[in-house]
Amino acid sequence: MSDTVTTENKENKGRREALNESRVWQVYARRKYEEPLHEIGNVMADDVELAKVYARSIYDEFSWVEMVIVPRETIVTVIES
Amino acid sequence: MTPTALQSEEALLNRIKKQQLIESIDQMSPIYLEGMKRILTVSADTELISAPAYYHAGVHAPSLNTFGSAISIIQDELSHAHIAYRLLRDLGVDTEKLIFEREPRNFKYPYAFDIPLDSWVELIVANAFYDRAGYTLLGDVYQSTTFGPWKRALVKVDKEETFHLRHGEQGMRKLNQDNSGHEALQKAVDWMFMLTIEWFGLPDDLKKHSEQLDYGFKGHSNDELRQIWMSTAIPLCIELQLKVPAHFDEAQQKYVIDCAFPAHFDAKAKRWLLEDGPCTWDDVMKRWKARGPSNEEFVGMVQRGKKEMLRLLEQPA
Repeated sequence: MSDTVTTENKENKGRREALNESRVWQVYARRKYEEPLHEIGNVMADDVELAKVYARSIYDEFSWVEMVIVPRETIVTVIES
Repeated sequence: MTPTALQSEEALLNRIKKQQLIESIDQMSPIYLEGMKRILTVSADTELISAPAYYHAGVHAPSLNTFGSAISIIQDELSHAHIAYRLLRDLGVDTEKLIFEREPRNFKYPYAFDIPLDSWVELIVANAFYDRAGYTLLGDVYQSTTFGPWKRALVKVDKEETFHLRHGEQGMRKLNQDNSGHEALQKAVDWMFMLTIEWFGLPDDLKKHSEQLDYGFKGHSNDELRQIWMSTAIPLCIELQLKVPAHFDEAQQKYVIDCAFPAHFDAKAKRWLLEDGPCTWDDVMKRWKARGPSNEEFVGMVQRGKKEMLRLLEQPA
């Protein structure tokens, strides 16, 4: 196999992988001001702006008063369930 | 990805007995993990394929408002699919491959979605029948599943599926106001009612995957879920004076089917071959495995975008 083909394959693989987002963001929201935020789901996006768009469009079941996203890898478990 | 160490069956069953939900793959046993992947794949595929199936009929919406409602339902279904595929990915499944590289015939959604909905009337009946089936099945999972992340995710799904089936009910009531609407509804009900009855799968005495109940993936058996579906779908049809081949039997205190069941189905003509008498569940499984007329088209609609984007990206610069 020639070097050119190998480089091309690597490039193609890289481009393919660019389509597959891998970072998970936990989504939290609340419906009322007196309620605490609670986890409503998660989305995958490599970019925070896209993660915000996905969270808004996927979790649109209620008129939330607040919604936040947190990168899953930053969560530290203190007490395990 | 490092392989996750799984729990023994005994450890898992002990946790379930203590009413502690299963939260992640490392709390699962091999049987639980495989069973959960199987039931989640069916759920995810069903939600996903309903999008092209409903779109195929949604384009016949008689007004902007109704088209908007149809599109809103499609968006909900895609969100529900997203939730189930996300859970599968957390269980180690390559969901990109699962969604975009799988052969259409290997998708695990109910056969009913392989029969194209060709009109607004058929879409409305699908909302009233198929979304009710989804609501029945997922409502049961919501109540009973031992997998915490799925249970919590289903709050949203439960709420939205209720909207879909109400959309179907109200749509049917509206269409039923004149004779031509009533006749069109009856024609749709004639083929769609039995397909939804069949949706709930093998009767309990033939069912293979017993872990679905033992491990608390769901709470009711197939036959019980079929009864739950009939207990609201049949009264709706009675209210609208639509004939269905099933009724409530006072002596048995349950709904009974009045025609040959299971039965052969002519998918192209959308007609049950009831005159041939009942067939076996093996015959039904063969029909399901062969898939129906719109399987390739609908899966193709889902997979097309990614394939086109990859072709574009892979062109030499």
